[in-house]
Amino acid sequence: MVSVTGASIVLFFLVCAAGMGLSALCGRKRAPVVIAGAGAIASVLVVLASAAVLLTGRSYEAALWTLDGFGRLTLRLDALSSIFLLTAGIVYFPISLFVRSFLKDQQGSDYPARRFGVMYFALMASVALILMANDAPLFLISWECMSILCFLLINFELQSQTDKAAGYIMLAMSEAGFLAVVIAFLVLGRGAASFSFSALSAAAGSLSPPALWSVFLLGFFGFGVKAGLVPVNFWLPRSYTAAPPVFIPVFAGVTLNLGFYGIMRLNADLIHASYGTGVLALITGSITALVGILYATTERDMKTMLAHSSIENAGIIVAALGAFLIYRASAEPVAAAIALSAALYHMLNHSVYKTLLFQGTAHVEAATGTRDMDQLGGLSRVLPGVSALFLVGCLAISAVPPFNGFVSEWLTLQSLLRSAVLSSTSVRIVFVLCGAALALTAALAVTCFVKTYAMNFLGPPRGAWEPQLRTRKGVPFPPACLAVACLLLGVLPTYVLPALNRAVEPLAGASITTALVQPFFTANARNGQLPHAFLQDFHNIGAQSGRRVLPGRGLVVLLRGHNANPVVFAMSTAYALAALAILLLLTWFAVTRLTRRRSVVRRPLWAGGIPRLLPQMTYTATGFSNPVRVVFQAIFQPNITEDTRQTVAVHFRTAIHRQREETHVVDRLFLQPMGAAMRWVARLLAGMHHGRLNAYVTYVLAFFLLVLFLYRGT
Amino acid sequence: MGACSSSMEERGRTTLNDVAAAIEGRFGNDISRTPASHGCALTYSLTKPSSLPAVCRSLFWDCGCLLGGIIAEEQPGRWQMHYVFLLLLSGWIDVVLTLPIETTTVPSIVAEVHAADWHEREIEDLFGIRFENHPRLGDFVLHDQIWHEGIDPMRRNFSASPAQLGKQLDLEWQPLLVVGDPGSFAMPVGPVYTGGLGESLHFLLETVGEDVIRAIPRLFYNYRAVEKIAEGRTVPDALLLAERFAATSAFAHSLAFCQAVERIHSVEVSARAALLRVLFCELERLRQHVAAISAICDSTALAVPAAQTSIITEQLLRASGILAGHRYLFGLNVPGGLSRDFKTEECRKLLASADEAERELRVLEKRLRYSSSFLDRLEDVGVVKGANARDLNLVGPIGRASGQHCDLRKACPYSGYERLTFEVPCETEGDGYARLRILFAEAAQSVRLMHQAVDALEPGPVRIPCEGNHPGAALGWAEAPRGATLHWVSIDEKGLVERYHAITPSFNNWLGFFMAAENFAFQDFPIILATWGLSATECDR
Amino acid sequence: MGVSPGRPVNTDFSSPDEAQLAAAICPVNAILAQGKSALVDPGKCVHCLRCRWGIPTPMNWDAGYEWARPSAGNGEGATFPASFSKSLHIMVVDAGDCGACLHEVKQLNNPLYNMHRLGFFFTATPRAADLLLVVGPVSENMRGALQKSWEAMPSTRRVMAVGSCAISGGVFGRSFMCAGGVGSVLPVNFEVPGNPPPPLAILHGLLMATGRKPATKSEPVAEGRS
Repeated sequence: MVSVTGASIVLFFLVCAAGMGLSALCGRKRAPVVIAGAGAIASVLVVLASAAVLLTGRSYEAALWTLDGFGRLTLRLDALSSIFLLTAGIVYFPISLFVRSFLKDQQGSDYPARRFGVMYFALMASVALILMANDAPLFLISWECMSILCFLLINFELQSQTDKAAGYIMLAMSEAGFLAVVIAFLVLGRGAASFSFSALSAAAGSLSPPALWSVFLLGFFGFGVKAGLVPVNFWLPRSYTAAPPVFIPVFAGVTLNLGFYGIMRLNADLIHASYGTGVLALITGSITALVGILYATTERDMKTMLAHSSIENAGIIVAALGAFLIYRASAEPVAAAIALSAALYHMLNHSVYKTLLFQGTAHVEAATGTRDMDQLGGLSRVLPGVSALFLVGCLAISAVPPFNGFVSEWLTLQSLLRSAVLSSTSVRIVFVLCGAALALTAALAVTCFVKTYAMNFLGPPRGAWEPQLRTRKGVPFPPACLAVACLLLGVLPTYVLPALNRAVEPLAGASITTALVQPFFTANARNGQLPHAFLQDFHNIGAQSGRRVLPGRGLVVLLRGHNANPVVFAMSTAYALAALAILLLLTWFAVTRLTRRRSVVRRPLWAGGIPRLLPQMTYTATGFSNPVRVVFQAIFQPNITEDTRQTVAVHFRTAIHRQREETHVVDRLFLQPMGAAMRWVARLLAGMHHGRLNAYVTYVLAFFLLVLFLYRGT
Repeated sequence: MGACSSSMEERGRTTLNDVAAAIEGRFGNDISRTPASHGCALTYSLTKPSSLPAVCRSLFWDCGCLLGGIIAEEQPGRWQMHYVFLLLLSGWIDVVLTLPIETTTVPSIVAEVHAADWHEREIEDLFGIRFENHPRLGDFVLHDQIWHEGIDPMRRNFSASPAQLGKQLDLEWQPLLVVGDPGSFAMPVGPVYTGGLGESLHFLLETVGEDVIRAIPRLFYNYRAVEKIAEGRTVPDALLLAERFAATSAFAHSLAFCQAVERIHSVEVSARAALLRVLFCELERLRQHVAAISAICDSTALAVPAAQTSIITEQLLRASGILAGHRYLFGLNVPGGLSRDFKTEECRKLLASADEAERELRVLEKRLRYSSSFLDRLEDVGVVKGANARDLNLVGPIGRASGQHCDLRKACPYSGYERLTFEVPCETEGDGYARLRILFAEAAQSVRLMHQAVDALEPGPVRIPCEGNHPGAALGWAEAPRGATLHWVSIDEKGLVERYHAITPSFNNWLGFFMAAENFAFQDFPIILATWGLSATECDR
Repeated sequence: MGVSPGRPVNTDFSSPDEAQLAAAICPVNAILAQGKSALVDPGKCVHCLRCRWGIPTPMNWDAGYEWARPSAGNGEGATFPASFSKSLHIMVVDAGDCGACLHEVKQLNNPLYNMHRLGFFFTATPRAADLLLVVGPVSENMRGALQKSWEAMPSTRRVMAVGSCAISGGVFGRSFMCAGGVGSVLPVNFEVPGNPPPPLAILHGLLMATGRKPATKSEPVAEGRS
């Protein structure tokens, strides 16, 4: 029987190949349509395939061919892969459509759309292959393909020397990460029958704790490079800033997730990681989140700001993953399941809203020619549609209900609060500190995105930019899809969680559907799944409203406790949205009724009596975030490099210039010392290369003797 | 205090003869000494305009004179510019530059004497005389948003009548911002702010969010063209203007005006009138200093001392009302003395109020000195170093808090101050707390002087006739509560005022305000303003 | 004592010459001689005290402070509605004031006067203000800011001119730089004459504006000589 999944996957690869071929062969004018059409079809197929797996719960498996020395290469689409594949499909769809409008704008210039198309589909296929690979060789080959394609796509629209440098830094870091992953697989595969994942997983049980630790560390930081974890993330803001606007959503929405996939697959699925590794992941994640949001808040370039914000979200996801590992190692399956579902949910959410925000940024840049938040302002009048969608993205990423960011951040914090069940006091303290760091992160995220929205879309324009493009009143379709997805993922967590449960249950050992999604719709007093009194209480406050209309188990996410504490936590964004809508409507109705007879007089803006409030008299983005910069001075360590006062006579200032230079904390504490150490080693080695033949002969002799000594026994 | 006190004496050791020798030795060909006139101790006429900057530099820096101000006067067929300097303990030195009326440019002395900046800007804006090489002219008294360039209201041919000049609000006007930090912006404050309980003035705080890099004051919102409308009025009518352009120091300004008129008429006021003038001068200083202390307490949100000092202020206002019939001492000074006599027992009653005020102030000062939270907000706030105070010619309590030891009551005594004993307190830190200490110390000295004045009163007339047609011009000066004020009055044959120019302490000190308002935290701004205690209306006239 | 400086009031002299003398000594034409009596326009009087100390027979002197009056043009029925009587928010604008009136207005916050007990509050924004209290003769550079303050106020708004400068221009009069009183810029509802009016006179004006003191009858007002 040919399953839906199988058919979709085969078709997907065919469409990708066709897309590559067509975009290489068709005329330049046709290329945008071809890319958009084929891309949309391919993403729908991907969604179909992964949705089928998640709905039926049946994994798809297919053997490809046997490679000498590596065994059989197989494809396997299990629940974990499906979630990532589904995410990729969801964001690939609007991205593909967005590519069309973007490339159409570029048509006048000699934008290499065809070359772009080929690489676009190649990347799509390699991402799918990574997610479906069921053995290390296939996984690594497609991973390497993906890395190189990413590098090529970053350098695709080369604009400056720093962009080129950004590309090389990224390539170097991905290769370093790749190397670490290869070693991790080699260590893991030492005792395994083959390099297939099932064999590796079986072999992991017999590994010694130090070997397990080394596999974990190599994998964690190897994949952490892609996921943007501190301290191996310094490539990320640089390359995001350099990447062409059309490609950057792919970066943020798809390839970033591959890092999480790698960590989950290797460190959570293949090996049964220990308690300590979880603590490490939790701490790393929290630090990453805090550092990411601090730099996002003080950044003025929209793209770079969103890149730092991606780092922040990666931190949240990895922190939740760390909590999962700790709970699993201490045999708390329900808490582990909550943490893992929070991580997966947040990954999905982040992909959706970050893609939305990047597309909004691309629209802003296209309309104004700048991404500098100190210059922008008042765009809600120029681009009302984009402004509304961007607002949805900002609300979602700031974790404001009813949008999706709220659900996953709420679940993350709730899962951290479950640390009360742990026995070790020191780990509980770590949980408390990390929870505080994540709470601070959430608060700063609100600051950051209030700033982003307010400075770009409200107030007067602050810079000398001219609306380059015709003002666009309409609502662009691709980001609108994502905005709707933000709302649906936020309002219907009780339908998303069971889907995630397909992947969570095998890994955590407990079902979040059972634990969190209470059967309010399907339960009644007769079948006795829930105690009668409990059901009655929740019936009274409306947890069962909608049961006749909607399928499923209910709209309330609720964790039940013991008798003394029947409800540990509960949340329903759907009902909250409904209540909010009703209240707003009532208020609106009441206000319009009450003020019907009143006339509204609009008075001019009050600015202390000056003739006109000039744009340069309003807050800039830098000014808005300056308090954060001042409070966290210890982290930013700003360096005032230049403080020039041009003066006529001693008192007459004609200009004051100060150049503030900040080195990113990771660069300062990790990259620069590492670079210095490298140079030191290189200088040491260079000392040996002085060109005297007899010295080289001595080296060879010494090495030979060393080998003889080492292998003296064999 | 000790270190400063010697400085006025030390600088006073340079005598007029030293200065004359130095100037005449260097610039003998470019200047000629003319008989001392207008109340100045030394008058030079400049024959070569291009040497003006060098002469001024020599006087200000080499001879250690202070800048009094620049007075421009349009006379039939010629411009006369008086560059007035003060040699401590010796008197005023006037360098007169006479130019044909067609002249449009004058060499600027700003590069040599920075304190002359605003004087030159004012003359440029009001007379249309350009100063060569002045870094920034225009948009000063006449705001460029409302007034076109090319209107010179102080010229004789300009009518002060309310003619419509086709004024249109220029919406394209842009402020001149100097801070080029990435992300910097200018926070506008005023002209109407704090509910209007502050005077009308406007600031642009150039900032990158929290720390203000620079504050640019924009003044002259209260400019009522007092000097223009005084022209052609009789002396008593002009006196009303001199008294009423800045009511919080009305007595000192009217005194300076009256002294100038008396000097023109060569009238010496009676000893009784002089002592009574001292009494009122010091009463005004006491009241104004208490009000300034009240404002400082208020700016740091120290409500109880602010209320206590405002009660003292009100008590002193009432005491003034009881004695003089006016709470702000209007209508007392007339050329030739005072408008009426006062009984000694009335004056004693006033002294009782002043003593009461001093007692309360002493208690308050002690309490404030132990309020560390209060001192934390004043110390190292709005600092002006001594060298800058000298450079910018700061006067009054603000100058004295920065080691600029000059008080006209001692440096160039008038109204019999030379016969009274008092000290001029001086500090060197130049921060907000130093200014507060100066205010307290001077208030105590004022009460001391009031006692001496009343004790020395002897029967006699209080008003010497000072009428008739005596054309001429003269300087009058007084140490107003906020510092030295210098009034130039010139009277024509009909006894009408031809030119009146008031150089006020606030005008002098606002120029230096920016120095204290650089790189500070936003929440310190009201404190810096309050410790400076400047008056916009006194500056604007 | 000393709370109010007092002010000259209409005086009946024993001879027309004395009245003429009083009118002649007034520098701002606030006194009009009509036969034997001299009539005072308090809105013009600048408290120069010359008609008290400068002439042999001084004018009669009113030592009180109930000086406020509705303005001649817009004062009729301008009293605030009753709902404002317990809470009135006042915005002060300095439109070229010499500092005396402003200082006296500030004294109202002083514990000795404590206007809060009467339900009067200063506010820093015209959005929250009911009464615009203007001091000063309206200098040209402040005219725009004053108009903007007025325009930014909510609808139930009144204007009070405090001090003779704000009423008639005072010693500054009308010139290219002075509008010669608030009346030429905004519709003035209440006036508090005096140069400066003492705090109690301003308080009287506020009470009158809220209808808590009867609007005083306008005394026979001199028209001035010219």
